Order: sequence, then structure tokens, then C-alpha cells
Amino acid sequence: MFGNSPQPTPLTLLSPIKNGCSGDQSYVSLTRAYLQSLNKLPLSPMAAVPNTFLCRFYILNDVFFEGSPAREDHLQSKYLVFCSNFHGDLETYLRGFWQHANEHIRSAWRYCVGFDAVNDVTDFIAYIKKCMVKTTFYFNGSTGAPLKEQLKALYLKQELSAFVSRHQGDSPEKLRAEFMRFLACAQPDNLDGPSWAPGLSKLGEQQTTNSEVDA
Amino acid sequence: MNTDYIDLDDIQGNIVKAYGRFGYPVARYLFFQFHELDEGRQFVESLLPLLTTSRPWFSETGLPPATTNIAFSYQGLKHLGLPTKCLHSFPEEFSMGMKARAKILGDDLKSAPEHWDPVWQNDKRIHMFMSINAQTQEALEQRYDTILTLLSRHGDAVELLRGHRGSEGDEMPYQEARAIYKHGVPTSKEHFGYSDGISDPFFKGSGGNPANLLGGGKPTRGNPATEEGWEPLETGEFILGYRDEAQELPMAPVPHLLSMNGTFMVFRKLHENVGSFNRYIQEVGKDFPGGSEALAAKMAGRWRNGAPMALFPTEAEANAFASELETARVKAKAAATELERQRAQEYYLTLRKKLTGFNYDSDIGGQKCPMGSHIRRANPRGCLEYGVKDAFATPGALDNRRRILRRGLPYGTVTDPTSDEGEHGIIFMAINASIERQFEFVQQQWINYGNDFKLANEKDPLLGNHHGNEDFIIQGSGPDNPPFFCRNIPRFVTTRGGEYFFVPSLTAIRMIACGLVDPT
Repeated sequence: MFGNSPQPTPLTLLSPIKNGCSGDQSYVSLTRAYLQSLNKLPLSPMAAVPNTFLCRFYILNDVFFEGSPAREDHLQSKYLVFCSNFHGDLETYLRGFWQHANEHIRSAWRYCVGFDAVNDVTDFIAYIKKCMVKTTFYFNGSTGAPLKEQLKALYLKQELSAFVSRHQGDSPEKLRAEFMRFLACAQPDNLDGPSWAPGLSKLGEQQTTNSEVDA
Repeated sequence: MNTDYIDLDDIQGNIVKAYGRFGYPVARYLFFQFHELDEGRQFVESLLPLLTTSRPWFSETGLPPATTNIAFSYQGLKHLGLPTKCLHSFPEEFSMGMKARAKILGDDLKSAPEHWDPVWQNDKRIHMFMSINAQTQEALEQRYDTILTLLSRHGDAVELLRGHRGSEGDEMPYQEARAIYKHGVPTSKEHFGYSDGISDPFFKGSGGNPANLLGGGKPTRGNPATEEGWEPLETGEFILGYRDEAQELPMAPVPHLLSMNGTFMVFRKLHENVGSFNRYIQEVGKDFPGGSEALAAKMAGRWRNGAPMALFPTEAEANAFASELETARVKAKAAATELERQRAQEYYLTLRKKLTGFNYDSDIGGQKCPMGSHIRRANPRGCLEYGVKDAFATPGALDNRRRILRRGLPYGTVTDPTSDEGEHGIIFMAINASIERQFEFVQQQWINYGNDFKLANEKDPLLGNHHGNEDFIIQGSGPDNPPFFCRNIPRFVTTRGGEYFFVPSLTAIRMIACGLVDPT
């Protein structure tokens, strides 16, 4: 389906978190608490951002001391780090990000230096560009094809494997009839038909109903 | 020295800065058992807003009336569902617990765990430690009530353990501690009458007065009466995640976020046998030149008023110093103008340096401060070089990695100074990055043994686990001042309980409470 797809577009950015506190908690602690709370949600808010293949938020506390005689260095700020691999160009991606995960953006970057001045998508794009660093490593596991194509491909691979397993040893006639039924249900050419939903990490979480395929 | 990188907002209180017995003279220690994982986690999460950090208090008005801190035993971490890989990454002495280390610690005879308070009898039940330190008894009660209210939401799933012996019986739900008061004012005394808590390690990032560097830091070859004689210890000796004296990051449990900004704490309830102590110094003191007060001073290495023997070898000198120091302190407080106050304060601080700004270079043989006295053992100040010039790369080579922060308070009241009975002593709390390398080493090798001090198997006269037939030698200076043998020292201090705890950062506590600790 996407044999000659381009590389995914990478994005790495480091946003300095303000030094200081709100009430009894430091800004970095509040930021970390928010990011860690995402682990408890059934679905990451990033699943709503179109064409995100894989992304990760973490906090860079400091540089690691490697022992003497290495020089001991420290960062002046702690950083919110965001890495993403996605399909398409940066600005389109950031517009989708702003539109579909606005609340999440505001929570994640809330305590970062300069984010107070971000009021609209133009500000957001400018802000992200200021925080960007060159990406030299990609997440391993995606091509650059649009997300819908990749999810459909994964879905078809999974369903076809299940089909083969289920019908092993069937007569050619029965096999053909079942396969036609399978094609009708799985709709290989329809990207908006049955597929994996973005953001799922386990098969059990599959949201698109495929009971007809299994029947 | 820039130590801005030390995350004071994430480190729990009473580690970087001590709450102190003057600001926070009353405390209560609580121990909890988790019977149900989710309820246990929820209880811990509900405590988060109450926890006190290491952030400095810049003015007296900024001081909270009460503080709260928590720590977990190995059993506690297990019952809060920490993944096995994390549990296995904790040091062995911590996972074994204090009771299992009784032989190493010398907790035998009356100090043996079977004689400890009832609450310690089933150490597998001790899951969480909580300390409440307060400025007043009212503030303490108020915070305690808040904790009980939070606890009540969890029914029987989280239990506040009873079984602390106190003045009101054996079943107290907490261990009470408070400074010893005189004329309604908290003092620095413990029940044997010594001023206590004078010198504590000073490390990079330490809060408080920089003057505490003297005697608190690690020795250089400079003049010990000045800042040139000392350097701050590395932070990693006391807090995980920072460079330590080996110039590397201390060994710590995984993942990094679980251990970073955390540390280990030793909790020990030490009963003081006041009757035995008073009797011994009176009786043996009759034969000792200088009498019982001088004998008490030789045992500790300080006069009971705090003056160090190394600088004030006679009682008259010590008393004169103590009275001058007290006068200076009062003057500094009462000064009428800002200029006067500054001058008086400066003078007071200059004097105060004499409490800690010394070493044993001019007392190699222990003629002033005996080799085996308590403070020389507990903080050798570089004396293990024995005057051999440049024996080691640095004079503190053998003791810089054996330092502990002391954060305890006395408990109970002495009602009969002739008796050992009753409930009074010291709640000893020590903070260190490695319980085995720091606290246990000091306890085993320096308190209950004497080889490093060229004293064979002689023990610390005050804290040693004496069996009744041991001696303490007070070195002499010549034919006119021969050595004095204190014979058959009784056990002055008896262990009545204790455990090892992990003191996580605020981040780690939240992760533990939310079940988010992931070692992969």
C-alpha cells in the first residue's frame, strides 16, 4: 500500500520550564504531574492529533553526571521535551495539533517560559519553531505514509492473519465464499471503513467493530 | 558555590535543613500499616498537600506552624505495589530491615528486639513512617487531627499502629518527642545533661548558617578555626541523584525518578539509663582528677555545656566560654539599633565557631579529648591520619564517607534521676545515602568497636553496647598525669525500637501513590 513512502517528518523540541512555584508545588512538579496523569487515561489526547505516528513527552531534569573526571554541568532550567514523528509538513501538523488537542497543549506547556504569549495557532507555530532542535533519531516503526493508510494496513494484516488461522483446511469453495465475505466486511480500499483507531496500544482496546469479520 | 541545581522543592523537609529543636520543639512520630493496596495509595496521595519540602523559610513569619513528612519501609513499598524490579534494586540492609541487622548494630541483651516496644514486635507491619514537627503543642494536635481525619476515610484498610510505650502505658498510637524545657524554654539538652546536636554535616546545598561549615564539612589541611579548614561535603552523601564523595552518583534504586531527591533514614528509639549514668560518673568521678563533671566531659569529648575538650581542656575554661557565649547570644537578640545588632551578632558567631571549629591535630594522643570519646568517634575530623603528614590525599579520607545527618529529639521526662526505669531517651534519626556505608559502619565499627582509634575492642563510653565488663581509657599526658581507666562501664543507652526507611521525593511519593513507578 505504501511501499515507496517518504520518511516521516520528525519534530524535537525543548521548552524551558519556568523556575519557581505555584503554591507549594514547583512548576516542573506540576508539569510532571500533568504528564504522568495522562498514563491513567484510556486514550492519549495525542490520539486526536491527525497524522501522529508516535510521540513522547518527558521532562529533562538536568544533564547526567558521569563521574569524575567528567566535568559536572547543570542546566539552568528543566525542559519539557516533545518528540513526534508525523506525516506531512510541520505547519499543517501543528495546526491540527492546535485544533484537536488545544486543552492538552495549554496544560502541557502552561508553565513553560514564553508560553504565556501564545494565544492563537500562529503564536503556537512561532513558539514551537523557537523551541525546535534538529532531530537526528527517528522512532523506529513507521513509514511516512498518512496515518489512516498505516492504520488500515495494520488492521488488514491482523484481520487477514485471523482469517487464515480460522479457515485453515476449509474446502476451496467454502474458503472462497468466506474470503469474499471477509473482503466485503474489511473493505481494504476504504480508509474510512473498519480500521484501527489512532492511539490504541493494545488489541483489546480495538474500538472499530469488526464482529462481522469475525463471525 | 552555586547549588541552584539542587531541587529543594522536590526534596522532603528536615533533610537539607533541620527543623531544629528551637523552632520546632515538639514532634510526634506515627507508623502505619497498609492492609489494602488501593486504599493505601489513596491515603498517601491525600497526604501530598500536607508534606513539607526543603524550600528555605526566609523569615520567621514564613514558618509553618507544623510540618509533615513521610517515609516507607521496604514492607511498605511492597504493600504499595512497587514493581518487583524496583524492590530488588533497593540495598540489602534496607530490605532486611533493622531487626534483621541486630547483630551488626549490637542490639543485644536489653537492646535485643524482643525487648523493644510492642509496636516493633511485628516489624513486617511497619509500612509507613510519618513525622509531625510543630512550633507548639496546639499546632501539633491540630495537624495530628487532620491526619486522623484523612485516615478515617479508609476504614480498616490503613491502620495507625499502636504499641509505643509512653508515660500513659504501652499502647500509645504514636511516639511523642520534645525538646527538654527549662523555665518554659526549649533547650539543647538530652537526659544525661549534655548539650546535643551541636555539629551536623555541612554539604553542598545545606541550608542554614554557613558558619556550620566548621566541623560540619570535610577537613582540609587549613586552619580548623576558620573556613579554610573545611569544605562542604558532596550532596550525594545525603541525597540520592547528586555527586558524592566518590565523585560519582550514589548507588540508588531504579527508576531514576523514584530515587532522585530521595534518601534513607534510620529511626531508633534509644532509652537513656539515667540512674546508671549518674551513679557511674559520681562514683568513678570521685577518683578522677577534675571529678564527675570532668569525667562526663571526657566521655563525650565535650563538656556538658557543649564546650569542646579539644579547645577547653579545663572546666573553668569551659564554663567561662559557655557563659560568654550565652551573654553574646542574649546581647545579639536584645541590641537596640541595627548597627549594634549586627556587631553583637558578628561577635556571637565568632564565639560560636569555637563550638565546632577544631580538629585533633594538636591532640594526636588524646590528652585533651580522649581517643575513644563519643564525638571523636562519631566525627573524627581527620584524626585517623594520626598526625602522619599527608598520610592520605586528604585528611578525611577515612571519615568523609561515614557522615550522617542527625535529626532526632529527646522523648519523655526523667522523674527519678537515680533510676533507669521510665520512658525517656532520644529519638535518633539519621539521614544518609547509604545506611550500610554510613550509619551501620559508624554504629558497628566506631561506636561498638575501637580498632580504627587504636583502641582494640573498646566501645563508645556513652553509646556502646556495654556488657558490664568493658573499660574506657582516658589518655594521660605524662608521669604526673597518668592514663585513667574507667572500669566496668554499664550500658547507658538501650535500643527500644527502630527501622530503616526510604524518604522519597515529592515526585516519587506521587508516583508511588498513583501506581506509576515503572522500572523499564
